[in-house]
Amino acid sequence: MSDHAIEMEDIAKDFGAVRALKGVTLRVRGGSIHALVGANGAGKSTLMKILDGVYPAGSYRGEIRIAGARAALRSPHDARRKGIGYVPQEISVIEPLSVAENIFVGQTGRGGHFWTSRRELEGRARRFLEEQRISLEAGAPASYLSASERQLVMIARALAGRPKVLILDEATACLTDREAGSLFELLRHLKKQGLTCIFVSHRLREVEELADRVTVLRDGEVAAAFDRGGYGQEAVVSAMVGPMAAQRLEGAVAKNEIAADRAEVLRVERLFVPHPRLAHRHVVEEASFALRRGEILGLAGLVGSGRSALLNALAGRIPFRGGIFLEGRQIRLRSPQEAHRLGIGLLTEDRKGDGLLFNLGLRENISAGALSRISRFGFLDRRAETRFAEEFSRRFDLRAPSAAAPVGALSGGNQQKVILARLLLARPRVLLLDEPTKGVDVAAREEIYRTFRELASEGVAMVLVSSEFEELLWLCDRIVVLARGHIIDRMDRGEASEARIVRAATGGENPSDFISS
Amino acid sequence: MMERRVRQLLAVPELGIAFALLFFSALFWLINPALLTTGSLGAMLRALAFVGIIAVGQTMLMIAGELDLSVGSVAGLCAVLASWLTKEKGWAVPPAVAAGLLAGGAVGLANGLLAVRARIPAFIVTLGMLYIARGLNYLLCAGYPIYPLPAALAGMGKASPLGLSWAFFAFLGIAALGQLALARTVYGRAIYATGGNCEVARLAGIRTGAVKIGCYVLTGALAALSGMLLMAQLNVGQPEIGAGWELEVIAGVVIGGVSLFGGVGTIAGTVLGLLLMQVVRSGLALSSANTHWQTVAVGAIMIAAVGLDLWRRRAKR
Repeated sequence: MSDHAIEMEDIAKDFGAVRALKGVTLRVRGGSIHALVGANGAGKSTLMKILDGVYPAGSYRGEIRIAGARAALRSPHDARRKGIGYVPQEISVIEPLSVAENIFVGQTGRGGHFWTSRRELEGRARRFLEEQRISLEAGAPASYLSASERQLVMIARALAGRPKVLILDEATACLTDREAGSLFELLRHLKKQGLTCIFVSHRLREVEELADRVTVLRDGEVAAAFDRGGYGQEAVVSAMVGPMAAQRLEGAVAKNEIAADRAEVLRVERLFVPHPRLAHRHVVEEASFALRRGEILGLAGLVGSGRSALLNALAGRIPFRGGIFLEGRQIRLRSPQEAHRLGIGLLTEDRKGDGLLFNLGLRENISAGALSRISRFGFLDRRAETRFAEEFSRRFDLRAPSAAAPVGALSGGNQQKVILARLLLARPRVLLLDEPTKGVDVAAREEIYRTFRELASEGVAMVLVSSEFEELLWLCDRIVVLARGHIIDRMDRGEASEARIVRAATGGENPSDFISS
Repeated sequence: MMERRVRQLLAVPELGIAFALLFFSALFWLINPALLTTGSLGAMLRALAFVGIIAVGQTMLMIAGELDLSVGSVAGLCAVLASWLTKEKGWAVPPAVAAGLLAGGAVGLANGLLAVRARIPAFIVTLGMLYIARGLNYLLCAGYPIYPLPAALAGMGKASPLGLSWAFFAFLGIAALGQLALARTVYGRAIYATGGNCEVARLAGIRTGAVKIGCYVLTGALAALSGMLLMAQLNVGQPEIGAGWELEVIAGVVIGGVSLFGGVGTIAGTVLGLLLMQVVRSGLALSSANTHWQTVAVGAIMIAAVGLDLWRRRAKR
């Protein structure tokens, strides 16, 4: 009999040609709190989704043992039955329902009950919450709850399945320090009751405070593991970054000295972006920065840090408060169309969702952003349209059967070039780039980087969001690091390093201490 | 091999419908050669015109990703309004017709503002408008047909140039203009982009709200025109004009290959879809089957057409 509650042995998982996990072994002692940390794309979520049965047995290699016995987890439902509870990163309370109904959602019909009575359910929820020492009002409607209370509902929902192991996937991402503190109290209480807990987090201080053991993942492998008291935050940071980082950097520093006297194109002053669902909560708080002609500014940060929200606010897609100045004049960005008219173009992160028009061909996809350039008196000039498509195809080495080819048939890299061509045809002053090389092969990546360089030398200013810190270091003149909505650190090209970015992105308990201008 | 060929042939959407049209024409012609006489053909085309005019607007609207169920009621309301203005108010024909068109456009504008700006689902808005327009229609005429109409209108309605009707030529002209607008103008391209992916279109600077509302206004005005053309032909401001047209229009548009999700379709396809519906109807009528089989057949064709369309699309991937 092993004293491990969970043993994941040599787990490997591929997504197409991408190897997400390269043989990860994770052993979690029964009744302990085990933290899993790593930069974006390190494989944390993939590993946890395997343990939750989202990626079912057979879709990966390796072996899972629960309390010493081999287990094949075929679905999340199967994982529940085998004693695994999962609290997802995204809070998904059902707003029209009460706390009680939210907690027992999915299991109201259990034990021969088909009909449920609200009073019976609330009573059951009240007893359950008391027993777990969770301070929530069972009858309250979920729509009135704050972020942390919603998080508690999610945890209670997972606990209601009576799990032996509880997985918390970045459960503290949108909580304040005090809220996170009370969540930790709850976790310690549960631990005393014998619950095993695996928790994924970006905040290293809370990891140090809470976890009995930390496993650091990097590029789909275990980079290091530490026991409580046997490490410092710096050790974790350098494990996350890896020994290669210093070497990678050397090649990068060579380029692009931006003259400080270049004209300012875009200035952002004290920008707040409200949380889409929670009142009085912001996903970006008091962000200020400036962007000069021909400059590439990097926005670094982990998932949920607010970098995409900041970019989308600048593109007029989501509401914000604060000042945005374009070439010295304050602008109001109430819609993406307004941003487009002002010469601000956005390359979205989700190419399939909001990047391409799959009902139209390559040529039409390129011209959609600048129909006025290919028309006279409202009539399309199809020859000009084809000419532009061919011109951009040559410039970007865009490989497609013809200008009329459907964009759905193109590779990820070529699709990205199509979107880039559309943005450039509109002759933008500012380009906002959200993960521009996500899912793009290496060759296309080089070409896309080269294009950014060229654009910069033509005077186009760019804001680049990337999860690959290497990419930021390679391309950007300056880097701004966000953590939980705050700008934590700013660095010029010469002083930037992967370790410094990671340190800022994972720290930031108290942003005001870190801000340097 | 065989299947791939069939799929390749079906890859041009209009071609698939055209084949179906040829097949059914031949079938019913074999059953009863009277189907393809000039008299019968003329009758089919004349019957097609009214629903066809509205279908042009509906095609553009549905490509933009929206839908209008109120077109039949709007046709009836505007016909009664125009005839009421000439009969009760003594208006001349041109201003009365203009008022009818304006009223149709105004209803379209209301539909568009409610669906696009107030973000009430188009299905609900236009279904509600179906009732509202129908009710106003009966309030206006108190349930009775309005006649006689001025001689100018009646003359135009009765005329049969080339054995057809002015309404049919209006349909031809409007369909041609609609096809030109969709294929060759910035507005047409904006319609396809909006229906293909509204968010992408917004980011590309296309004013998607205005594009959609424009389609609603156009559809409303075309519904009014169609209602008034039938009024002229009947020589009566009949309150029942347009009853049930909304489903005919949508059936024709969908059979013609317009996607319910938007972004896909052509006017040519819609015209072929309407012709197919009409041929099957007339064919069944001439083959001495019970007339209600016509209704059954239209439903079956619609399901088959959309099913085939989805199959073809899956095959493309």
